[in-house]
Amino acid sequence: MDRRTFVIGTAASTAALAAGPAFAQEAFPSRAITVINAFPPGGVNDIVTRPFASALEAVFKQPCVVETKAGAGGQVGAQVGANAKPDGYTLLSHNNGISGYEEVDKLFGRQPKTTRGDFIPLARLVADPVLLLVNDQQPYKTAKELIDDAKKRPETIVYSSGGLYGATHLPVVLFEKATGIPKMRHLPTNGGGPAITALLGNNAQVSTQTVSATLQHVKAGKLRPLASFGGTRSKSLPDVPTLKELGYDVEYYLWVGIFAPKGTPANIVSTLSGAIEKAAASDAFKAAIANAGLEPGFLNAAGFAKFWADDAKRSDEAVKLIGRVG
Amino acid sequence: MEATLLSLAHGFSVALQPDNLWYAFLGCLVGTLVGVLPGIGPLSGISILLPVTFGLNATQAVIMLAGIYYGSQYGGSTTSILMRIPGEAASVITCIDGNAMARRGRAGAALCIAAVGSFVAGTFGLLMLTVIAPPLATIALRFGPPEYTALLVLGLIFLAYMSSTSLVRTLLMACLGLVFGMIGIDNMTGHFRYSFDLAELGDGIGIVPVAVGLFGLGEILATPSKHVTGEVISPKFREMLPTRQEWREAIWPIGRGSLLGFLIGIIPGSAHIISSFLSYALEKRISKHPEKFGKGAVAGVAGPESANNGASTGAFVPMLSLGIPTGPITAVLIGALMIHGVPAGPQLVSDHRDLFWGFVASMYVGNVMLLALNLPMVGLFVSVLRIPYAYLYPLIIMFCIVGVYEVNHSIVDVWIMLIMGLIGYALRKFSFDPAPLVLGLVIAPIFEQSLRQSLIMSNGNYFIFFDRPIALGLMLVCAILLGLSALSFVLKRKDWRDRLAKVEAGEG
Repeated sequence: MDRRTFVIGTAASTAALAAGPAFAQEAFPSRAITVINAFPPGGVNDIVTRPFASALEAVFKQPCVVETKAGAGGQVGAQVGANAKPDGYTLLSHNNGISGYEEVDKLFGRQPKTTRGDFIPLARLVADPVLLLVNDQQPYKTAKELIDDAKKRPETIVYSSGGLYGATHLPVVLFEKATGIPKMRHLPTNGGGPAITALLGNNAQVSTQTVSATLQHVKAGKLRPLASFGGTRSKSLPDVPTLKELGYDVEYYLWVGIFAPKGTPANIVSTLSGAIEKAAASDAFKAAIANAGLEPGFLNAAGFAKFWADDAKRSDEAVKLIGRVG
Repeated sequence: MEATLLSLAHGFSVALQPDNLWYAFLGCLVGTLVGVLPGIGPLSGISILLPVTFGLNATQAVIMLAGIYYGSQYGGSTTSILMRIPGEAASVITCIDGNAMARRGRAGAALCIAAVGSFVAGTFGLLMLTVIAPPLATIALRFGPPEYTALLVLGLIFLAYMSSTSLVRTLLMACLGLVFGMIGIDNMTGHFRYSFDLAELGDGIGIVPVAVGLFGLGEILATPSKHVTGEVISPKFREMLPTRQEWREAIWPIGRGSLLGFLIGIIPGSAHIISSFLSYALEKRISKHPEKFGKGAVAGVAGPESANNGASTGAFVPMLSLGIPTGPITAVLIGALMIHGVPAGPQLVSDHRDLFWGFVASMYVGNVMLLALNLPMVGLFVSVLRIPYAYLYPLIIMFCIVGVYEVNHSIVDVWIMLIMGLIGYALRKFSFDPAPLVLGLVIAPIFEQSLRQSLIMSNGNYFIFFDRPIALGLMLVCAILLGLSALSFVLKRKDWRDRLAKVEAGEG
């Protein structure tokens, strides 16, 4: 090969390479999509996000890679998701936590690292209602018995949560407010698993945890659900009344949603939300969710945006109720 | 008992089916590799391979994923021994005496002892799991914050035995580790501490980047500044097996490590790291030749390496019999089961008999596989040391960076590792031992959290550590250990006075 053919060849292949992406821009997506998962493996987010990514892969015929960016109660992942290039190739899988960071940062006088405006809600994949649970060593058979006792003994009954201002702490505070009971004593742990362990070991007497995470312990008689925070009764536990039925206006779910960073073009957002809806309706994804004992509760972009606004209001209210602890 | 044996036999009939055998082998192989590569630990290995198991049935999936977990505990010691780089967090302590043995030309022996110790501990743990899992599991539940606090007080006391350097240097390093452990969000109040506005520091400084940096990078950085002779640690093949004397020194530490590791493994929390530290301290405390520790004591390899394997088996007890995760790894395994429609919980044994017993039996098979996999590789691994440092070390640095990044996909972790490498270099130059620093870092956040949780439970009453039986027992052990140390201190002083008196008398 002489020098001239080499130069021409190189120029031609460079031109071809440069033309490649330009051509591809017309059809989104033309390459792999990354789904940032803001929570560590083993949790609900992980259990939902991985089958979701493989279902989305089937819709787009492009690889969908789950990248775990866990840390600081989901804040690390939220930040990565917010700062990603808004081209639709990086999505964020997050949960209730994403609503609260702004309010908590304000509470401590910190500059919020992410706000809700940094994200475009694309879809809610699951909404797992939270249960009000006690362990089998407690005498309470109904929510009313617990409420009456909590009124008599302020700051005595201990409840465990997966973390301060977290998705299993906020519902307790909303419950306290709706029922008018004085504060119970809070035992923060580092995650949903340890919080359930604390309840099972009677290091805490009460906890609010999701149906999917506790169903096995409920069936084994180790934990007793007194009420559900869901809008309707859970299909897995039809005998457990909702708090609304009992006359308390509280509703709380642990949900998992998919977000795109602010600034993603509208046509890509609509392509994405259409594809996500298809992926969520696929048999493979539905089976994975059902296997995990989760309640589907899919909402499309518009429905999720409305739900998120309401849910964020509840979250902000609860954070304000907790205030600064120390 | 007879029912157990029958169930186990049934389990073997499941585990020995060709496809199940294949997935067990695959898991063990990946686990060994994950363990050997520095930084990449079992957690990232399992979560990367989790989607691969979507196409398998639940039994195959859990057999393979669990193989990665216990397999990694076998492989973790390899780089610790050969290069003083912990393959994963539970093998940090093996760096000390394992590498010292390698420097004496006993790398092969150390690797063999680590592999056999892992095998014994794994099999012992399984026997315990098969026979007495359900009653043991209830103990795991009774291990609440006060018990944890008491256990960590014991850990803090053991810190003093951690190192071959002087007590002042050891405690200095330990304090530094405890201070590093304070970084991150305060779980009780939500304040960020020393995080410099980096959300990545919110969960504190990770153990893996610190351990890999202090031990691995520090060691590599220090190498060019000393005279290096390539042939020192690559022995001839027939010198590779442990001598009879070395076996004799290893037997009891392996036994003690297996039991200790298994018991600590049952407790929820990051206990398998602590188990290796505690085993090391225990061996040093009861050894007739504590001065040998740090200079290549066989017990310093045999004990901790058995303990971390015992702990990884122990961790399955609460997971399988109660559905409680003891740590992030078992949490992922429970998640994997859930994805396959098998809810992990108290009914697992009765509702999914095939899966449970097949899984247990597959671990017996897996441990044999791992031994067969690891012993022949000893020769291969040792010959890695024949590669000139100029080629070997850049490769290792690359693996360290990739591995540490892989744990959390965090570039901040890589920076932590690099900074810790520089600190590790300085510590080496000034003859400080980094092991107590790592232990301090492990203990600080758990100790703080469980202490404060205990006080929340008791509404501020410190008596909670003495009115719960397990906590009280642990506190008594602490008191006895402190008492013995104080006693020997007093006796030594007396001894010194006697001698002085004698000298004076002699002169007079």
